Amino acid sequence: MEDTTMNDDVGTKKPLPITVNKPTPYTFDLGLLLASDPNPLVLTGRENLEDDLAATARDGAQALLNQLLTTCPIQSTPAGVLLSLPAIETSLPREKPLPPPKAQTTWEKFAAKKGIKPKTAEEKKKLVYDDATGEWVPKWGYKGKNKQGEQDWIVEVDEKKERERKEGTERQGDGRRERKERVKRNERMQRANERKGRKNGQ
Amino acid sequence: MLRQIKPRNARSKRALDKKAPKPVENPKTTLFLRYTTCSQLIQDAMTDLYQLRIPLAKKFTKKNPIHPFEDASSLEFFSEKNDASILVFGSSNKKRPHSLTLTRTFGYKVLDMLELYLDPESFRSLAQFKNKKCAVGLKPMLLFSGTPFEGPLTDEYTMIKSFFTDFFKGEPADKVDVEGLQYMVSIAAREPVEGEESKPSIHLRVYLIKTKRSGQKCPRVEVEEMGPRMDFRVGRVKEADESMLKEALRKARTTQERPKKNISTDIVGDKIGRIHLGKQDLKELQTRKMKGLKRSRDVADSEDEDMMDVISDDEEPVKKPKKA
Repeated sequence: MEDTTMNDDVGTKKPLPITVNKPTPYTFDLGLLLASDPNPLVLTGRENLEDDLAATARDGAQALLNQLLTTCPIQSTPAGVLLSLPAIETSLPREKPLPPPKAQTTWEKFAAKKGIKPKTAEEKKKLVYDDATGEWVPKWGYKGKNKQGEQDWIVEVDEKKERERKEGTERQGDGRRERKERVKRNERMQRANERKGRKNGQ
Repeated sequence: MLRQIKPRNARSKRALDKKAPKPVENPKTTLFLRYTTCSQLIQDAMTDLYQLRIPLAKKFTKKNPIHPFEDASSLEFFSEKNDASILVFGSSNKKRPHSLTLTRTFGYKVLDMLELYLDPESFRSLAQFKNKKCAVGLKPMLLFSGTPFEGPLTDEYTMIKSFFTDFFKGEPADKVDVEGLQYMVSIAAREPVEGEESKPSIHLRVYLIKTKRSGQKCPRVEVEEMGPRMDFRVGRVKEADESMLKEALRKARTTQERPKKNISTDIVGDKIGRIHLGKQDLKELQTRKMKGLKRSRDVADSEDEDMMDVISDDEEPVKKPKKA
C-alpha cells in the first residue's frame, strides 16, 4: 500500500475541505457580500498575528463563498456566471432625507373631491354591445351609438317640445343639434379650465 | 450653505436632479481631505483607501485647517459642494499622531464621526505587496470578525462596522459575476481584556481570493494578502444624533406589495386569519353564582316590565333600580 499521508497540494486525490466549523455560526448579509464572525478572534501571539488574521479571513471567505454559491440562484450567461443577490438587510443611513411626497395636481385634487376614478380597461374600449341588435357598435364616430335615433324616419310627436320649439327649427336634426351643442359646451368648459389653470399657476 | 440655484437650462437641471434626494439613492461618494499637517504615512493610507474606492471617490491634496470635532462646518461645506456623504480626513500632530477622521453626513450635515489612529509600525501600503492587484471598481466581500462588532449597543466598534460597510458598499448590485468576487476586506478585533486600559485595536486587511477545485460543488478558498495593511486604535467618537439617525434610517416605500398581516397558511394549505374581537368587558363576566346574590323570580319579572312602579322590596340590598 502507498502511504496515506500525502500532502494536500501534491496529491489531489483527497478532496480539500470546504466546510468551516465555528462554535457560533456566521451571520450573512448577502446583498452586501458581508459576513460577520461573532466568534472571539484567536490570536496566539504577536509574531503570529498575520497568520492568525489570514486564517480567520480564509475561514470567513470560505463560509461566505459557500453561502453565496449554495443559497443564491446562479445564472450562466455569455457575459459570465451571474449570482443573483438578495436585498440588503443591514440598515445603513441614507445620505439625504427622503424626498417629500409629490403635491397633488389641480386635477387630482378635483377628482378626489368628486370621486372620479380613472376609466377601467372596459370603459376605455371603443366598441359597446348593442342589446337591441345584438351587435358591437362604436360609441362614437361612423354609425356611433351617440347618433342613435337621429335617422329614425318616424317618431312620436312630443307635444310639449313642439310647443316650446324655437323659431326656424324643426324636429328633423334635433338629435344632431343637441349633440353638437354638447360638444361645443365641453370645448367651452375646457377653454375656461385652461384659462383658470393659467391664472392659478402664475 | 451654498446658494440655491434655479436651473436655467436642461444641462443644469440634469445636474441638479442628479444631486436631488431620491427614494433609491445614488451610491455614496467618498471625499478624502487632509489637514495642514499630515504625515506621509497617513497620506499613503488615504491614497490606498482611495484606490480601493476609486470610481466613487474624490481626493483633494490641498491643506485644510479643519478641526472636525471642534467645528465641522467646513466638512459640511465640502460634503455639499462635492455631493459626498463619506469624508475621510487625515491629520497628524503631536497629540494625535497619524489620525484618520471618518465622517458620514446626512443631508450635508454631519451624522457621525469617528477618529482612528493608524499604527505606524504595522502599516503596509498597497504597493508594498508585490503581487497582482484586483481590477478597479470591483465589489469587495466583507468580513467582520471578533466579538466587539456584535455588540447590541452602539459603541465605537459597531460604528466602525457600520461605517466600513457603508464605505465598501459601492454600487448597489442585484447580480454579481462570480469572477468579480476577487478580493475581501477583513476587519478584525479581539475581545477586550478585563483590566486593560486601551481598547482592542482594529485590524484591516485586504486579501485576494484564490479558489481551488475541491471536487465538490463549492471551491476551496485560499487567501493572499493584497494590501493595504492597517491597524487602528480608536480615538474620539461623535455618535449620531438620535432623531437625525432615525430620519436617516427611514426607508422609501417600495412598490412591492406588503404582506398582509394576521393572515397565514398552515401546512395543509388552509388559510388562517387572526381577528381582533375588541376589548373584553369583564363586568359581563359570569362568576360564581351565590344564593344570596340571586334575584327572586317575581322581582325579575317586575324588572322586566320596568318603570311601572317603584320596587318596594327591601330584602334585596344588591338590587338597584334599572335605568330607563
